[in-house]
Amino acid sequence: MKKNLFLITMMLVLPTLMIGCATTGDLQKVQAEQKMIDAKADQALKDAQAAKTAADAAKVKADETSARAESAIKAAEEREKAAVEREKVAEEKAKKAEAAFEKSMKK
Amino acid sequence: MSRISDRSLSCNWLRLAALCIFIFSLSACAAMKSVRETTGPFPGRHETEIERNKFAVARGEDVIGRLAVIRLEKGDTLPDIARHFSLGINAISAANPGVDVWVPEAGERILLPLSFILPDTPRKGIVVNLATMRLFQYKEDGTSLSVTTYPVGVGTNERPTPTGQMHVARKAVRPTWHVPASIAEDHRKKGDDLPAAVPPGPENPLGEYALYLSKSGYLIHGTNKPASIGLTATNGCLRLYPENVKTLFDDTPVKTPVLIVNQPYLIGQRDGVLYLEAHTPPEESAAHETEILYRRLRTIEKKAARALDWKKVKEVQAEARGIPVPIFELRQGSEKEVAKPVEVEHPETLYGKPEIPALRLQAWYVLAADVPDMIEAQRIAAIINHQGPQIPARVFQKSDSYRVIAGPFNDGSEAKKAAKRLKIDLEIDGIVIEPFKNG
Repeated sequence: MKKNLFLITMMLVLPTLMIGCATTGDLQKVQAEQKMIDAKADQALKDAQAAKTAADAAKVKADETSARAESAIKAAEEREKAAVEREKVAEEKAKKAEAAFEKSMKK
Repeated sequence: MSRISDRSLSCNWLRLAALCIFIFSLSACAAMKSVRETTGPFPGRHETEIERNKFAVARGEDVIGRLAVIRLEKGDTLPDIARHFSLGINAISAANPGVDVWVPEAGERILLPLSFILPDTPRKGIVVNLATMRLFQYKEDGTSLSVTTYPVGVGTNERPTPTGQMHVARKAVRPTWHVPASIAEDHRKKGDDLPAAVPPGPENPLGEYALYLSKSGYLIHGTNKPASIGLTATNGCLRLYPENVKTLFDDTPVKTPVLIVNQPYLIGQRDGVLYLEAHTPPEESAAHETEILYRRLRTIEKKAARALDWKKVKEVQAEARGIPVPIFELRQGSEKEVAKPVEVEHPETLYGKPEIPALRLQAWYVLAADVPDMIEAQRIAAIINHQGPQIPARVFQKSDSYRVIAGPFNDGSEAKKAAKRLKIDLEIDGIVIEPFKNG
């Protein structure tokens, strides 16, 4: 009976010990893997942040460029408008001068 | 041995000569190409002179003269070019749309409309076409007919030149201008009191010669305002350039018939080609004139039994450049007879171009304008220079503007008189500038 009890105990204790040992190893492995993943995640996060920062910077730049382009277009339009206006004024002045000339040619 | 070496030497010489000829022919090709390129879009001949007034009229032909092209030089104005080539300002402006009359670009090519379709009238005596502002004087010598043509200035819309048949009633050298009451009143309103009669001289608008027409009050005369030729600026009289009226005066006996017509659309033929010359008709008669033109063209179309290019006709009408444009082959294959414009060399001096005297410190001047734009200043100066009698004017460049200075004038009264003329004629408020004081 004692023998049987010992055998049963051994049968229970040994696998338990063995399971315990396996769990520790596994845990260490998992922890190591976790650390690696963590490190990778950190790297990925850093990369992502860097990418986001770069994207933000690019967006800011793009926005700035677009704003500058817009203002350049507006300025060009203004200049064109002013040039047309100047041309119109010059044309009107030329017409006025011509009319005055024709009038001056009468007796 | 020596014969062999001689032969090889002569062979080398031959090769060298052939190479030289090849290189020379290449450079000749290049030279020909450059000649072709310089003729540009008007590949006509280069000439130093071109007929501008007197032409022979071939039997059955209606088109006289040739179109020409001239390259402008710095300081040229269209009125100066017009006068040199006996053209009116209307003709040169219409032929060159878009060209600045007073400040054209140097190097610009200008078309000289020195080809004309004779008006549809009997070819006898003097014929004036008001629409084209040209006078034609026909001379028959035995079997040949010649025509002398001059540009004219005509009456305004308010005081138009009368049309119809009349004749030269009398002629006068250095005529006195008896100022009509209506004109005296117009001047008085502007603050310019005219005397009852203006004696011969630079102030006399009749110039040096006058042909009095049988229609009372109307004259063919010279002018003290040559830049007005080709304008509707008279009170019904016909004005000619001073150099043209002298010739006309000498060539025209009293009782010469004078027919005044108004034909804005002229059609005529030369060398089997039908030409159309279109001038802008007055708005009120445009539809009527177009109807007359189309009726005549339809008759020609019917007679030729071939369709006319009506699109082209309408184009010529719309452009109204006042030059004869070929529109129809009356004789098949005759279109190649159409002459290209000739290129005329720019003369050293343009006849009648206003001269500006040198500046003098002791003279009086009038500041006529101070403007930021150079072209505007040059235009004002050119217009002042072309007044009659001339008021000399030039442009001074300042750091931020351009000044138009009229003068030099000998004394204060001359300067004040010029300032008054600028005000009355051109609405310019001039400022009289006194001379530098000695010591």
